[in-house]
Amino acid sequence: MFDIQLMGLLNATLQAATLLFIAALGELITEKSGILNLGVEGMISIGAVTGFITAVNTGNIFLSVLVGILSASLFSSLHAFVTIILKQDQTVSGLILTILGLSLSALMGKQYVGKKLPVKIESLGNIDEPTNIIEVFISQNYIFYLSIFLMISTAYLLKKTMFGRRLEAVGEDSRAADSMGLNVNKTQFIATCVGGGLSGLAGVYLTLSYVPYWTDNMTSGRGWIALALVIFGGWKPYRTAIGALLFGFLEALVPRLQTYGFELSPYLVKITPYAITIIILVVLTIYKGGRTGAPSNIGIPFFRESR
Amino acid sequence: MNKYLLSKKIVINELSTFYSFLIGLSIGIGIGSIILLTQGQNPIEVFSLMLRLSVGSVKSISTSLNKAIPLILAGLGISIINSVKLWNIGAEGQIFMGGIALNFLYINTEISSPNLMIVYLLITSFIGGAVCILFPAIAKVLFGVNEIITTLLFNYIIIGLTIYLVNGPWKDPGSLNFPAATYVGKEVYLPTVFGRLSYGFIICFLCTIGVHYLKEKSVFGYELRISGGSALTAIYAGINAKQKAFIAMLIGGGLAGLAGGVELLSQTHRVSTGLSQGFGYTAIIVAAITGMRPFGIFLVGSLFGALTIGGSVIQTMGVSSYIADVIQATTLFGALIAQFFFTYKIIKVSEDV
Repeated sequence: MFDIQLMGLLNATLQAATLLFIAALGELITEKSGILNLGVEGMISIGAVTGFITAVNTGNIFLSVLVGILSASLFSSLHAFVTIILKQDQTVSGLILTILGLSLSALMGKQYVGKKLPVKIESLGNIDEPTNIIEVFISQNYIFYLSIFLMISTAYLLKKTMFGRRLEAVGEDSRAADSMGLNVNKTQFIATCVGGGLSGLAGVYLTLSYVPYWTDNMTSGRGWIALALVIFGGWKPYRTAIGALLFGFLEALVPRLQTYGFELSPYLVKITPYAITIIILVVLTIYKGGRTGAPSNIGIPFFRESR
Repeated sequence: MNKYLLSKKIVINELSTFYSFLIGLSIGIGIGSIILLTQGQNPIEVFSLMLRLSVGSVKSISTSLNKAIPLILAGLGISIINSVKLWNIGAEGQIFMGGIALNFLYINTEISSPNLMIVYLLITSFIGGAVCILFPAIAKVLFGVNEIITTLLFNYIIIGLTIYLVNGPWKDPGSLNFPAATYVGKEVYLPTVFGRLSYGFIICFLCTIGVHYLKEKSVFGYELRISGGSALTAIYAGINAKQKAFIAMLIGGGLAGLAGGVELLSQTHRVSTGLSQGFGYTAIIVAAITGMRPFGIFLVGSLFGALTIGGSVIQTMGVSSYIADVIQATTLFGALIAQFFFTYKIIKVSEDV
């Protein structure tokens, strides 16, 4: 019995972490290029609702995932257009993107509130109550495995490939990158849209697997946690994954605390990950003398002629 | 081959932010109309109802302006912090903290004179907001920790604290469905000026003038601008830039806290998760879209109050209130896009040399 409970906690942790991690990974790629996109919450919502609508209407999981990713990516190109091409403030544009994403998705999903999904995302094995760790991993669906693949490939992409080096060059010193002949605007645009696409994937995971139904404002702050995770992880994929597991663990733990007989207030437990993130951020900044791993050019628009 | 470069215009029209807002608003209304049409509604009918119910009578105007108060106060705070080129994303949390601090004083003191008590309560809410930004401010000036992230994270901590308080120590046993703290007594309600307009609006107007004076006319405002502009200039001028930034952050957080205090004493009358409905986030946008000008914040904040009220009343027609949010967001995006054309010119450069 104890095993089943523990495995249930592990299972819930992995599911919550998957969602947070995918969105955080997208934001990480965007921020690496020097673009801060505070609209993660809105992009997840767009991906979540479009994926859900497609799934209800077509019953095709692959198509739903694709639609969710593409629509969130298209949506994030609005932020890219306003901040990269038109050089407007990234903080403001990102916040507006959040408001627009949440309200637009609520309007689109109005007729789909309470609808049941005809399909679900397959997993390796169908196990309702896993009793050991292997079974927990087997019972995860394909998006979980995809997120592991994305983690490894993004880490490789950032460190070992030309695309990663270009991204870093643009994010660290866009003027130097420009004088080396890199197309700063294009690189940033692509990074922003890739980030949006991954947020969309997180959204699809939310409505097709994690919850699975659609209702207004169902992202409930997960986009903001994803933003915090990027900092927690010091703009590194593996450390971000550890952060996602920690936040996922706490998200899974809170509703279970009472069944374990703890007297701790669940409301206070819920704020600990944020407090931990702040402390880690401060400690990292002091320890590394101001270098937290943040791209130097983050939030600063690039002007070609200001060379 | 021709290339296009951007160049900042040397002379920027003083009223450009206002024009961009109007252009944005027409784009927002246009897109809103399309959405209304797809939902089978008559846009003209809906918009005229929105207009009538948000600014059509003394009662509705005062309701709209009441909604604008927290936006304007928090927006003013954000604009002060932005004069040292820092962002405060934590206004939402500071609004809640203002309410929490106010309620804390209220339940722990005896009331002798209600009027004096209101003043004390509002000062406490200001201090509450300032305390809420204290940690991000210290972390910023001492260690250089990114304030966007710390202020943002504090929102979650403070909202978490609010949820804890209204479900635990401060829980009103009479409020069953919606967890909230006990109401404050009627004697400390903010009185109304006319209609439903609370005295908060007077406070709000005075703060606007005060912040305008502080930012534009005072020595302190000048020092803030220099500190935000260039670290070296600040050193040459003998200005302690870090100290100025620290004070600016505390004042800015305090104003957001005051927004929470006014909102509690005039509207909600108790601490609950409904104390702020995203005012802190909207305030950032209001402040930014007006180029951080205090009177602009006052004007655009009032318009946003009306838009919010208009959005909530069209629900009675069976129109989703989210349409108002979409109009708001598209207005802002439209204004940002329009702003581009007021601040930059596009130059065609020939690369064949």
